[in-house]
Amino acid sequence: MLGTIGTTLLHHRRLLAVVLIGIVGLVVSLTFVRFSAPDLALTQLSVEVVTIVLMLLALYYLPQSSPKESSRARVGRDILLAAGIGGGMAFTTYALLTSPFSTISDFYLQQSVPGGGGSNVVNVILVDFRGFDTLGEIAVLAMAALGAHALLDQLRVLAPKHDGAGRLWAQEPHPLFLKMLMQPLLPLALAVSVYIFLRGHNLPGGGFVAGLVTGVALILQSLAGGLTFAENRLPRNYPPLLGLGLAFAAGIGLVSWFFSRPFLTSTHGHFHLPLLGNIELASVIIFDLGVYLVVVATVLLILTELGKLHKGEQI
Amino acid sequence: MEAMLAIAIGLLSSCGVYLMLRARTFPVILGLTLLSYAVNLFLFASGRLTINAPPIISAEASHYTDPIPQALVLTAIVIGFGMTAYIVTLALRGLSESGDDHVDMTVESAENDKEGEPS
Repeated sequence: MLGTIGTTLLHHRRLLAVVLIGIVGLVVSLTFVRFSAPDLALTQLSVEVVTIVLMLLALYYLPQSSPKESSRARVGRDILLAAGIGGGMAFTTYALLTSPFSTISDFYLQQSVPGGGGSNVVNVILVDFRGFDTLGEIAVLAMAALGAHALLDQLRVLAPKHDGAGRLWAQEPHPLFLKMLMQPLLPLALAVSVYIFLRGHNLPGGGFVAGLVTGVALILQSLAGGLTFAENRLPRNYPPLLGLGLAFAAGIGLVSWFFSRPFLTSTHGHFHLPLLGNIELASVIIFDLGVYLVVVATVLLILTELGKLHKGEQI
Repeated sequence: MEAMLAIAIGLLSSCGVYLMLRARTFPVILGLTLLSYAVNLFLFASGRLTINAPPIISAEASHYTDPIPQALVLTAIVIGFGMTAYIVTLALRGLSESGDDHVDMTVESAENDKEGEPS
């Protein structure tokens, strides 16, 4: 809460505000942990990292501080309006939390294992019971990424050579230790994301989180080694990857038509793989793979394109 | 516990709204982020607060928290990121078109931009 007030008070000094908003995000994710939502906490945590990197990149181009230009009356009016809305929200939440409630989720809790083949109910709802919703949602995400791609196309922003106080940006090379550390760390991070992806159906994890973890791991490479380093090693063209992800997710839905079932019906069963032994797999894993691809492509598309602006001229 | 979460949500949303009413793009981005935290927490709270009962089916667990709001909020968090990213690029585009980061593009700055356009 202190962080929130701080962000508002300090929004004129933008770098500090970004740091504080990171703290707010962390507290939100801790709240999710406390109230038994491990999936949400994981997602919030990894989104937080990406958002902060994004904001820092944007801050590099935007002015470092906001001028104070609102008149006193305007500030007063805005504070009143904000306080009214905040009070209303707090009251509604409190009223909601203290009123009795009946839930429809018993159906999901009972059907998750027999119907969806997974014991992480949140993930089963996402990829199975409400798979059509999720398909729409990753489509929205892909559209946002494409919109950003279109906006950044042909964009020329002159990067400032000085920071807010008129000092030159340091032209230091990328830190050696970070660089040395990141290279062996990349396979590890990717392994973690595969692990999170695979266990998603039964334990906290899944396509969204795994996609974000992969995105963060790859972005860290470019933070540590520089953009040209990362660019030579990463695919350049992300829109096809977005399309591929959507195609995976929609395609597995279409497959169920061939078995004359409704769109996105899932099936699951046990498979015997050499070396690995018996594993239980559900067909929704392909759907989750689609989600994963869309998320990775979105994160990388936006962050690398923003980073590329950097190579333009400087004032 | 309920009152504390309610106050936190109220505070987050009022700070978010105040920042969104500012005239520069960057505070608007921050405000939007705060507001999306508030909305996510609110949606999450509509499933009521349960401690130590994650919705993962196991033999030992006696009760579970409500999984539906969690599933909704999980996608909301990721879409929130997509939206933030879009707004950030919009802000950068505005910066390159008008030369400053005011949310309303004034006539002068648009004209200045035309004159000062690099050939």
